[in-house]
Amino acid sequence: MKSTRLFAGLAAASLLALPACSGGSGSGSSSSTGSATDSASGASSSATSAAAGGGTLTIWADDKRAAALKPFAEQFGKDNGVTVKVQAVSKDLQAAFVTASQAGNAPDVVVGAHDWIGNMVQNGAVDPVQLADEAAFDPQAVKAVTYDGQVYGVPYAVENLALIRNTKLAPNAPKSMEDLVKTGKELKTSGKAKEIMALQAGQNGDVYHLQPLVNSAGGSLFGMTSDGMPDAKQVKVNSPETVAALKKIAALGEKGSGALKRSITAENAISTFTSGKAAYLVSGPWAITDVKKANMSYDVSAIPAFEGGKPATPFIGTQAFYVASKGKNKSLAQEFTTNFVATPELHVALYKAEPRRPALVEAADQVKGSDADIEKFKAAGEGGLPLPAIPQMSAIWEPMGKAEAAIIGGADVQKSLDAAAAAVKKSIG
Amino acid sequence: MSTATREATGPAGQPTRPSGKGGWGLSGSSPLALAAKVVLLGMVAAITVWMAMPLIATQSWVLLALLLLSALAIFVVYLQPRYIPPKYLVPGVIFLLLFQVFPVLFTVSTAFTNFGDGHRGSKEEAITAIESSSVKRVKDSATYSLSIATKGDPATGDLVFLLTDPKSKEALIGDATGIKPLEGAEVSSLGRVTAAEGYTILNAGQASTRSKDISNLSVPTDTGAIRAQGISRAYEGVKARAYDKACDCIKDTTTGATWKADGDRGSFVNDKGEALSQGWRVNVGAGNFTRVFQDKTLQTHFLSMLAWNFFFALAVVFGTFAVGLAIALALHHPRLKGLKIYRILIVLPYAMPAFAMMLVWRDMFNQDFGLINQLTGASTNWFGNPWLAKLAVIIIQFWLGYPYMFLVTTGALQSIPTDLTEAAGVDGASKFFSFRTITLPLLFVATAPLLISSFAFNFNNFNAIGFTTEGGPFPPESPQVGGTDLLISYTYRLAFGAGGAQYGFAAAMSLLIFLIVAIISIISFRRTAALEEIN
Amino acid sequence: MSSGMPTPATGAAGAADGRALGDGPGLLDTPKQPVQLGSAQGSWFSQVGWRHIVALLAVAFSLFPIIFVISAAFNPQGTLSSTTLIPTGASTENFTGLLERTAFKHWFINSVVIAAVAGALSMFLSALAAYAFSRYRFKGRRPGLMFLLLVQMFPQFLAMVTIYIMFTRITELYPSLGFNTWWGLIILYMGGALGVNTWLMKGFFDTIPKDLDESAKVDGATHTQVFFGIILPLVTPILAVVGLLSFIGTINEFLIANIFLTEGNSKTLAVGLFGLVAGERNNNFGIFAAGTLLTAIPTVALFFALQKYIVGGLTAGAVKG
Repeated sequence: MKSTRLFAGLAAASLLALPACSGGSGSGSSSSTGSATDSASGASSSATSAAAGGGTLTIWADDKRAAALKPFAEQFGKDNGVTVKVQAVSKDLQAAFVTASQAGNAPDVVVGAHDWIGNMVQNGAVDPVQLADEAAFDPQAVKAVTYDGQVYGVPYAVENLALIRNTKLAPNAPKSMEDLVKTGKELKTSGKAKEIMALQAGQNGDVYHLQPLVNSAGGSLFGMTSDGMPDAKQVKVNSPETVAALKKIAALGEKGSGALKRSITAENAISTFTSGKAAYLVSGPWAITDVKKANMSYDVSAIPAFEGGKPATPFIGTQAFYVASKGKNKSLAQEFTTNFVATPELHVALYKAEPRRPALVEAADQVKGSDADIEKFKAAGEGGLPLPAIPQMSAIWEPMGKAEAAIIGGADVQKSLDAAAAAVKKSIG
Repeated sequence: MSTATREATGPAGQPTRPSGKGGWGLSGSSPLALAAKVVLLGMVAAITVWMAMPLIATQSWVLLALLLLSALAIFVVYLQPRYIPPKYLVPGVIFLLLFQVFPVLFTVSTAFTNFGDGHRGSKEEAITAIESSSVKRVKDSATYSLSIATKGDPATGDLVFLLTDPKSKEALIGDATGIKPLEGAEVSSLGRVTAAEGYTILNAGQASTRSKDISNLSVPTDTGAIRAQGISRAYEGVKARAYDKACDCIKDTTTGATWKADGDRGSFVNDKGEALSQGWRVNVGAGNFTRVFQDKTLQTHFLSMLAWNFFFALAVVFGTFAVGLAIALALHHPRLKGLKIYRILIVLPYAMPAFAMMLVWRDMFNQDFGLINQLTGASTNWFGNPWLAKLAVIIIQFWLGYPYMFLVTTGALQSIPTDLTEAAGVDGASKFFSFRTITLPLLFVATAPLLISSFAFNFNNFNAIGFTTEGGPFPPESPQVGGTDLLISYTYRLAFGAGGAQYGFAAAMSLLIFLIVAIISIISFRRTAALEEIN
Repeated sequence: MSSGMPTPATGAAGAADGRALGDGPGLLDTPKQPVQLGSAQGSWFSQVGWRHIVALLAVAFSLFPIIFVISAAFNPQGTLSSTTLIPTGASTENFTGLLERTAFKHWFINSVVIAAVAGALSMFLSALAAYAFSRYRFKGRRPGLMFLLLVQMFPQFLAMVTIYIMFTRITELYPSLGFNTWWGLIILYMGGALGVNTWLMKGFFDTIPKDLDESAKVDGATHTQVFFGIILPLVTPILAVVGLLSFIGTINEFLIANIFLTEGNSKTLAVGLFGLVAGERNNNFGIFAAGTLLTAIPTVALFFALQKYIVGGLTAGAVKG
């Protein structure tokens, strides 16, 4: 009997193809990555380490920073005879880093916001660093990367919210929030603008962007320990002061003047401003690139306070480099972060990639001559608290944001905040 | 595959034919098949050898044993002639076991632990983390310029630190025994030792290959120890906290505070009950499950969430199926012009990246800026009202899903022998009759399992919520459960909301949800048994 | 939205059909129309015309968000709020920006290779298993089928950590199958080869009369001959469908690929595109939209290529023979 056994043939063919293709893909990927800009990251790790004669330094960052960092990191590699790989993780970088660290596949250096420190420390994923000269850095930046009495990151940029306004629509900086709302309303009725203000309140709330207003109205989310660290155990989400503050916010909400709207979200806030639909934008230095691209006349000033209220201080955020405690090349990582990163040249270069204020005082001084916004943002952040880095704080953000969104939508303030406080206490335990 | 069948010849219960015809045994095979089989199994052997080598090199004996057993099993399955199903199942099952079953089982096992952020690793790892994060620079101590050197070969020789004191510019040498002056050293203008007799100074590349040794070297001094910070600087630091085996606790040498190991919590805890943030992973028994049952929010909202979850999944499955089928039927006509173009345009939503389109839809539903309100001239607050938000989520999912059903039912209609339906005649009445009696049942045979799996997928469709409403809108009285929250999105927030990820808790919760879905699926699966035997 | 009826069909018939289209099951009634209308051959409309309307409505619904994306892709300003349904510009700036400033070409090649290989292998593994499940009765068959479904229902975001740890080990042992490689991702995707698609194919295998293979076996055919010579040709349409579905599922996969592929040039389209908009979707929206459109091209091309199999009609002859 003739049986063709096609199956066997096909299966054998597919199996035969397997190693052949794998060879193909290997060469394919190495040739594709072997372009001039990226000769380092192409071949397999063993090959590169052999080629470079030294070790490999792997840096993880988000897409934007990875792109900005790449030329400098590669320069560092060339200078030191090592291979440097800058890799971008697009989503959940911190979670990916912690998981990789647990698995033993951690990069050597990770770049991220300072409020990651708490979680990275509790997972033993980062090591403290010794800054060569603490005084060279912006004190706010050093304070932000200090956690539990130790410095965990080398800061390179400081950022905070401010009020950006379209000077064509609103020539003068508003004296108060009430003043802002008044001008915004006039522009709206005269048809020059469609919204009073672009502040990304969001469908599910945005505590970070609303906090300056809450601060100004006298509210607070949490207490402080005796040594000035945020204390997640003192939940002040529904304290009488905060309730009173949120009542003021409610008056700006959808059932009030309409300055705050849930439909203004992270996706559309900046573009609402740049397209001229709103005269005011509450945002950070990252918005400036877009504002400049839109070719509009603008100015930056402090977020105005409520009349008779406290200053509308924003949270201070810091971007920093961290040394992974389970990295394969810790010495080089420390060398890179504490000695190479902490130079004004690199800070200025990173500033040029994205206009956030350099954390090194010398670098900030260098750029502020050509960029007036730097000082204006700094002034707007005067007196602001660093965004808390303790992991428990995330238990506050979610319920509070939702309560704020509900309040902006017109819900009862006391009821919303009580529910949020209950939720916070439950998850902190 | 030990439970393989004895009815090797198939459904009709035909007696097993003499060996060699139904089987893959070596006897009675054609030369070509024999050759193919030899090549195939040769490949298996080659891959096994290729995979075994690194395992031998790293002395991973358990993995090696597993590998060899698997290879042996494959040989047995393909060399024996009697049991045919395993021959067809083995290739897929190998991957299934490796990359689906094993990760799921492992994850389920974490439901009984406190696995999560702050409790990811072992106790030893926690101790290392606590100790190394407690190293503080000695107050007012010097920062030394550092050169790393070895005695002899750069790759293997004993490491030493060649230091220069910034004030006195004196060259020093430090190793594990202590620090002493270094004779005959060349010091550069920047104050670094550039050469020393009897030592090889490492360049950065060489140093980076000795990274572990450098990190581990601490040079004892009277007040602490000198450690490298990178490869060009060193500082004097003290380890403030250390593990004491005797009391199984962490002691702070500067403040005198102690934290005792608590094996139930997986943390070092002081008298006040405060824990150090670096903990380790321990078994907590059924603790996570009792937490799920004691969750007040869950108790009050579980039924409404479950109801919406069912409604969502059913609405999406049947909505997409009904419409997909209807369109497939409408387009199932030999004389329809432009059929190919229609098909491809209808299927387009499925070709677009789903996450991207969900984000686009979310923007389209925006009350003030969204395309939908702009086109209709309305100012509907889609995501502000729980019912409208539910509708919006279903619409988005429907848009994403109906091309799939269209495609599948189109394929099904093509597979169903057309002459069966065409033979019934040309007049409409009998066409419909033939559709109902022939096409539809066959269609159900083909797609019923699909409907169940589609239900299961949508029941747990995290992305449908995560990329659109994120569970919202949230009523003011309950910021925890939103109008469009599915059980899975609620679980996700609960697990990752407070103080980092709580994988153990999330696994427990998922396991319970999984049981619910599984029971429903099994019950509906039973009903398909009848359909299966339709032929 | 709909561009209306293709021909001036009779008002009465149009209305009747229009109603019938409104609800799914009503559609099934439409073939009755010729009888009621009485025209001997059935008017063109009741035979074919209404089908165009259904098709056009479906096309309109399918396309409307996509047109929005197209409009954004060609809008030089490229922000979300400046985009309207009707394109306001015809600039290719976003496309050139995408090609010049990102590693889009690498992403594209990676995606196509991974999706094509994974899709084909997955289809093949799935067909093998479906054959066993459909044609043989063995102990553990139904539990096995059930198991395939259940294991897929476990939330993937939880298993992620385990998969990551596994691949860390695999990367150490076999770098060519590790992180940032094509084959690593492909074998990982093979874990899902048996699953929904197996169910789907098994369902179709079940519709093929078993007399066919039984008579072939009486004639002395082996099980492999039955599988490749009889079953597979009969189910070509569904093979094509499953192949296409696997391809699409792979090319759009994000969760695993995001942490699996960290090196810039090893990324897939889904990961690369997400990176473009992560955090600041507004200003990159035009580029993102352009990328989304280009991502759909391989899928659409594959669909074109497979159309003739999907449309097949091969079965008619085979059943008789």
